[in-house]
Amino acid sequence: MSEHCRNRIAAHSTPLLLAGVLVVIAILVTLFGDKALARTLTETLIRVTLVVGLWIFVGNSGVISFGHAGYMAIGAYCSAWLTLRPQSKALFLPDLPTWLMEAQWHVLPAAIAGGLLAALVALVSGAAILRLTGIAAAIATFAFLAIVNTVYSNWEGVTGATSSVVGLPRYVDQWVALTWALAAILAANLYANSASGLALRATREDEVAARASGINMYRHRLWSLVVSGFFTGVSGALLGHSIGVLNPDSFYLGITFISLAMLVVGGIGSLTGAVCGVLVLSLMIELLVRAEQGVTIGEASLSLPSGTQEVVIGLVMILVLVLRPSGLTEGRELKLRLPQPRAALTHDPQTTN
Amino acid sequence: MTNLAQLFFDAASLGGLYAMAALGIALIFGVMNLVNFAHGEYIAFCVFALIVPSTDAVAVMFLGKAPALILIPLVLGIGALIAVLSEYAVFRHLRRADPVAMMVASFALGFVIRNILLAVYGGRPKAISLWPELNTPVELAGASVPLLQLIVIATTLIVVAALALLLRKTRLGLEMRAAAENFTMARLLGVRANVVITGAFALSGALAAAVALIMVTQSGVADVRVGGQIMLVAFIATVIGGMGSLPGAVAAGFLIGAVSVLLQAALPLDARPFRDAFLYTLVIVCLLLRPQGLFVPASAKPRI
Amino acid sequence: MMSKLGVFDISVRYGKIPAVTDLSLQINEGERVFVSGPNGAGKSSLLGAISGAVATSHGRIEMDGDLLTGRQPEAIARLGLSMVPEGREIFGALTVEENLRVGTGMRRDVQAVEADVGEILDAFPILAERRHAAAGALSGGQQQMLAIGRALMTNPKLMMVDEPSLGLAPKIVDQVYETLCALQEERSLTLLIVEQSSLRAARVGGRMILMRGGRIVGEGNAADMADREALAQAYFGAPRSNSDMEAAE
Repeated sequence: MSEHCRNRIAAHSTPLLLAGVLVVIAILVTLFGDKALARTLTETLIRVTLVVGLWIFVGNSGVISFGHAGYMAIGAYCSAWLTLRPQSKALFLPDLPTWLMEAQWHVLPAAIAGGLLAALVALVSGAAILRLTGIAAAIATFAFLAIVNTVYSNWEGVTGATSSVVGLPRYVDQWVALTWALAAILAANLYANSASGLALRATREDEVAARASGINMYRHRLWSLVVSGFFTGVSGALLGHSIGVLNPDSFYLGITFISLAMLVVGGIGSLTGAVCGVLVLSLMIELLVRAEQGVTIGEASLSLPSGTQEVVIGLVMILVLVLRPSGLTEGRELKLRLPQPRAALTHDPQTTN
Repeated sequence: MTNLAQLFFDAASLGGLYAMAALGIALIFGVMNLVNFAHGEYIAFCVFALIVPSTDAVAVMFLGKAPALILIPLVLGIGALIAVLSEYAVFRHLRRADPVAMMVASFALGFVIRNILLAVYGGRPKAISLWPELNTPVELAGASVPLLQLIVIATTLIVVAALALLLRKTRLGLEMRAAAENFTMARLLGVRANVVITGAFALSGALAAAVALIMVTQSGVADVRVGGQIMLVAFIATVIGGMGSLPGAVAAGFLIGAVSVLLQAALPLDARPFRDAFLYTLVIVCLLLRPQGLFVPASAKPRI
Repeated sequence: MMSKLGVFDISVRYGKIPAVTDLSLQINEGERVFVSGPNGAGKSSLLGAISGAVATSHGRIEMDGDLLTGRQPEAIARLGLSMVPEGREIFGALTVEENLRVGTGMRRDVQAVEADVGEILDAFPILAERRHAAAGALSGGQQQMLAIGRALMTNPKLMMVDEPSLGLAPKIVDQVYETLCALQEERSLTLLIVEQSSLRAARVGGRMILMRGGRIVGEGNAADMADREALAQAYFGAPRSNSDMEAAE
């Protein structure tokens, strides 16, 4: 087996291994966990879709995006418009166009439509924002988030403004969330190993050299943002259909913070890092939420003040940035290590990507 | 005519507020390439320092009871202190990290401060009345202008002038300007990195405190979210002013204030709630046309 | 003679790439030492290690008995070491006079500082003329003079100059060296100069150290060394030195 061939297999083993981990967790929780744990699992798997979606852009391009919660909102509201019962739309969202008002789509095409609309907005917004580089680009993504939030918080007849949209069909359980999470992981790996993904990662390492070798950084960044926007939009739709309620503020700074925290803690450099960050921080959030609700030890009941969760996660994020700047995985991928022929000492199983 | 004067005062006072916030961001960016997402939370922290810690809906004045002569320096000091502490606790350990990592860390720090405030003071906005007499209108140039607007305009001018003097005439100012241009060279000449950076954070924090005092007097509300919107505007002002350029930040702050007030006046009633969306879109367009900033000479080398 | 600077067995590496390897060097009080060698020999890394701008992976450096290794660059500057870096690194947005004053923060002798400003402006009339102009508008030669003046303002005991002839016309380079030598005389400075052209070093005079591949490969009187190098060049065709090409400004 050639060196190249072994590398290809190792690269494609990553999504399978990650998928395997998620499937095993899902089966274990379903078999041994209670209803609350199953809900936590669903939430975690939706976050996997979100953070992997975010990684497709941030991980490959190296540009930090504060705007992805905006794509999430777009996907979530789109799916809501397509699936809510016409009567409740007439009541809460009277300004919707007639064809949307009467639409009663199946949930799956609605989620895909949500993703596609988010991808379309990513294409348009990215076409502008990605002309910028570095910090200016990051701040422009932040401005984009504020634009989406302003529009969705004030467009009374179409988004319900700050009053929540309720009554979304709650069809997303852990299996639906798992399916989408697996799809996102597969797509992320396919993208990262595609010509565009490889070219883009070359620009992340050295922008000037990549440009000199004729890589069109702008086009590859835009393309990755579109793919990224799709899965982020889908994750928004999933979130809406798992809790049944939508509010523009659920797609603002809070979720931006959590998703970035997961990416940073896991390690921006690798897909494994994205998934790993979600799992680690979700576990921590769950423990902290329980601690905030109170733990009864014998007679005494102890509980942490609310808000502890966010504070602790923020501190963990800062600690990781200081002590282990490339995250828990340090940019490495979980990979199948194939037996090597004697001579191939140059192959380092720990090399990134 | 009346309307025009009114618009002018609105624009100048809003722009002044934005300019001060933008200066706070640009000062730190200038010396250490950090885009400080915690700046908005410094503002919120200063607002809440005025009232007694409690989750009740009614705000009881704490520091806010002190006479202005004591209150103002005290709050400026608190702003400087929280900024310096955050540098000491977080950013000092990230000096060698890349700007993106520092930016993400500041985002996390902002979130920590915000949630501590939420835990201590509760999430509901509180009514708070600091110097209510300043909101009485006075007649000027045919317009009826709240006294506070005039004070804001005057304060901005004083702050900008004082900062310019400090940067031009003092030892610390000289070192800060040298460090902003070439930190390594400045250190090779014996300029102490810690002194310069601590100085920049202290000034930035004091500017945040000034913004906090003005906003609280104007709105009469203490809200944890107070910092978020103005921080975004301040970022945008620093970017279109040319990252790290202090005169650019001030000019861009005033420009955004003016555009904002003009949009408010010119947009049809239905579209007014979307004013900020129009504003940010304009900003992105503006960045596309001049990515290096509006007020940077074309010859200047890009900092990022 | 008293030792001013002692470099003991230092190594500098950038990641896995070694720049300086197990290098030792002694410089005596009042001496003038040239460091020469091809591009990538580790000359600038050596200066960086001494000034504290570059971390050493091994070894120690002392000045007047004070340990320099492990100290911040500003602390080393405050011990009396000053640097005229490659490319001059003038603060372009500051005025000429402000540039001179950046390095005086450590000095408590306020009157002497004022006297020094006057003296340096006297020594470089062109700087005096443009005292309040932005330093970025100066020509290359003027910037080099300013960089030297700025380094002197810290009142150093040891001054390091990295490639002062880079990008300057030969006539200007003559002037730069004349000034440097005069100042050294007057202030009993110790000088460590990176100079690619061994001929130039020979003409100015002093001790010369030849570096290659991060190590010292030769040492001696600059004039003798230059002769030897010329001989070697004649026989083996050693790489042409950069300064000859870049002198065409």
